[in-house]
Amino acid sequence: MKHILPIVIVAVTAILMALALAGAAGPAKTFGIVSGSALPGFTPKASTPEQAVANLLIDVQRRNWDRAYSGLAKTDNRADPTSFKRDWTGTDGSLRTFSNLEAYDARPLHATADEAQMRLELRWTTPVGPIQEVRDVQVRREGDAWRVAWPQIQFPSVPAQVIPVNYLRWDLVSGGADDEWGSRSIDAPHVRIISMNAVDSADGSIVMGEVVNEDTIPAFVNVNATLVDGSGNAIDDESSFDKIAHVLLPKQVSPYRIDFPNVALNKVKNVRMDVKASLVPASADPVIGAMDQKMETDPQGRNVLRGQLLNQSGQTVNISHVIASFYDNSGKVVWVSDGYVDRALLPQAAEPFAVEIPRALSGKVQNFHVVVNQFSLGKS
Amino acid sequence: MLWLISSAWANRRLCGKISPCLIAIACPAVVCLAQVEGLRPPASVVAGTETSISTTGSGKATFYLAGPSTSTKHEVSLGEDIRLPPADVQSAGRYVAVICSQTCQSAAFYVTAAKPSALSFLVHPSRVPVGHSDAVSGVALPFDQFRNLVVEPVTIDFQLTAGAAALMSRPMRTRDGVGWFRASSGKSAGALEVAASLNHLSAHRVVRQVASDPCNLRIKGQRTAKGLVVETEPVHDCAGNPVPDGTIVTFTATEANGKSTVDAPIKQGIARAQIAASGPTVISVASGVVMGNELRVEAQP
Amino acid sequence: MTALVPGTNYYGRIAHLLAISLFLFVLPRHSVGADSGPQVQLDVSKAGPRAVESMTERGVFRDYRFAWTSLTEALESNSLAPLNGPFVGTAKAWSTRAVAKQRQNGLSSRYISQNHKLEAVFYAPEGDVMELHDTAEYQLQLLDGSKVIHDENVVIHYVVLMTPAADRWVVRQLQAVQGF
Repeated sequence: MKHILPIVIVAVTAILMALALAGAAGPAKTFGIVSGSALPGFTPKASTPEQAVANLLIDVQRRNWDRAYSGLAKTDNRADPTSFKRDWTGTDGSLRTFSNLEAYDARPLHATADEAQMRLELRWTTPVGPIQEVRDVQVRREGDAWRVAWPQIQFPSVPAQVIPVNYLRWDLVSGGADDEWGSRSIDAPHVRIISMNAVDSADGSIVMGEVVNEDTIPAFVNVNATLVDGSGNAIDDESSFDKIAHVLLPKQVSPYRIDFPNVALNKVKNVRMDVKASLVPASADPVIGAMDQKMETDPQGRNVLRGQLLNQSGQTVNISHVIASFYDNSGKVVWVSDGYVDRALLPQAAEPFAVEIPRALSGKVQNFHVVVNQFSLGKS
Repeated sequence: MLWLISSAWANRRLCGKISPCLIAIACPAVVCLAQVEGLRPPASVVAGTETSISTTGSGKATFYLAGPSTSTKHEVSLGEDIRLPPADVQSAGRYVAVICSQTCQSAAFYVTAAKPSALSFLVHPSRVPVGHSDAVSGVALPFDQFRNLVVEPVTIDFQLTAGAAALMSRPMRTRDGVGWFRASSGKSAGALEVAASLNHLSAHRVVRQVASDPCNLRIKGQRTAKGLVVETEPVHDCAGNPVPDGTIVTFTATEANGKSTVDAPIKQGIARAQIAASGPTVISVASGVVMGNELRVEAQP
Repeated sequence: MTALVPGTNYYGRIAHLLAISLFLFVLPRHSVGADSGPQVQLDVSKAGPRAVESMTERGVFRDYRFAWTSLTEALESNSLAPLNGPFVGTAKAWSTRAVAKQRQNGLSSRYISQNHKLEAVFYAPEGDVMELHDTAEYQLQLLDGSKVIHDENVVIHYVVLMTPAADRWVVRQLQAVQGF
């Protein structure tokens, strides 16, 4: 009698394992958790383009680079193993180095007996939230198996050089604990909200606008808003969170956007704005330019503002954050979008960026302005 | 017994609520304990000055002193003066002296601030644009050596000096322990010395006068192999003060196929940016909410 | 082994004990009628040169009342913790010393039935300091252990300096004067 329970447990475990393995070869068009074998040697044979892509992405997810690389098509311009791995894992402390491939969706764009083009929508989990990436890949049949073609990737090559850094830097010196009352006070930076626009959206209400640092020292800025109903009661209050460039140098302007999920604008009678600014050490370096900005429609049919970020300094920018404000013909801010670039910006090198605009608004947009926020590891 | 009654009668005006006189009469056969008959505090005391409280009666009693920052208790002999050392009366305020043996008697007195020996001086702002009226303000409060606020009116001199130029000198009489002023900022950027003085006491603060918003923002540019290099002329405010280094100037280059922007900080009075643009380009500039001129550059040959 | 079966009296006794404990718990601590906290009235109409904003008025009212509640608690229980939030500078130093001295000598004090008529007389141009005059009426009791050695209804005039801190107004100076 006493052996029955262990026997039952072992039997159930074996059954569950078998079921999991048997269900490994799911449909290729999956969105959500990648299905696939958890044990080596159980990856199904890539008898279809979808399976070839699934096998590759399962290996990428498990960081099994040797296996992933060995499954690639043997083309003339095939990427070398180092570049292949670097393309997936990122380098230089970029956002990609902190990311994991969570899920994918792959669909064929067109296919013949020996070749297919697949569109991959990859979903990455990152410290700043989920990021979508879209890639088009070629898949070829070699013998009785399909393989993904992965061409050589060109990474920016930065020549060795000396770049003088003589931009201004501000340091903050705190007073002592026993300073006499009034002897060591430094005013907080003067920051002003220069525009505010409240709009309704499918997800709730959104308050957006721009804020300027009117002072001569850097400011760490946060914008908060409280929605007030007709009786004067607060419905909700939220902060701009990361949809603002928090560190504003003197006379710098940043967009801000505050989302109020599930709050309809028709319930709101008033919006109370509050901007908080505090002293912060900062540097005027690096200078990052946003080049070749244009509004386009991307391959997925979304309206985006695209461009290139050019790092005009001598230090690597690990993570860049693009915040764009869009104006109508009267100069009113009608939308604020943001997006992270998951590759590091090397000195004097450029990386592409794109931020989405809702289709309903793209017709209203007459002008736009891009601000680049940056995070460099190990720097204040 | 008769002696007790007569002495109690003689001292009747000093009896408290629970009259020791009655106690004296009521306990003829008992050796009575100390009799608290009177407590005479000083009319007023200057903070940190030794003083005393006179008592009448005889015997031992417990003396209590409760003040803003003190609470003491010790044995005393009635009929003698109770010495209050300076340390016990440093804080200005209301004090209650209580003396207890069988009953308790109390009296209150006030300690007032001594003469000023320090000035607390609050000046705002710490940075001010030049040429703004009523932009600088200061509040001065006189305190004595024990941090008591001196509420008696005194005259404080306020002075503003920018370099060698005296911008303001104004004596102000304090009211309720506070003196204040308001003044305009000077015309030139630099340090503004603000001083408050009272007799031999003084307090100094420095306010940094900074340039106002950029004025007449002008740019020039030229083509290079990589695109365009654009720079401003030396950036000044309308009074001619150079705008501080680090101030952000936004360059925008608009071509037929797109737009490029660079937020560049001013360095040694000039902001500079390189822009990748090959076709005919219109370049504009702004700093904060101030716009500058536009520049049209022909396409790269 | 026989189990001990409680008789009917057992539960009755427990119920009685619980009732008595509850009664003692809700009984007011003082023999004098329960104090509902300081009553404060604030008038900012005479403040200048800067006019007192309505939010500032509400904050000053709330925080001054809280300061007196804390001071009362500190002096009655001889505890320093209540003084940490509402007081800074000289006011904190004085009240801390008073509590420490009381504790050292086995004394305490009570401020009962407080009524504060507060008037703002100065508000700095930049809003960084406010002077108020408080005509405070309360019952002052001084105690040596549990024995009341002094019991007096007083009207005291306080000069108060308050300054804005991170999230509240704090009392920097609380100085009694003979008159305004």
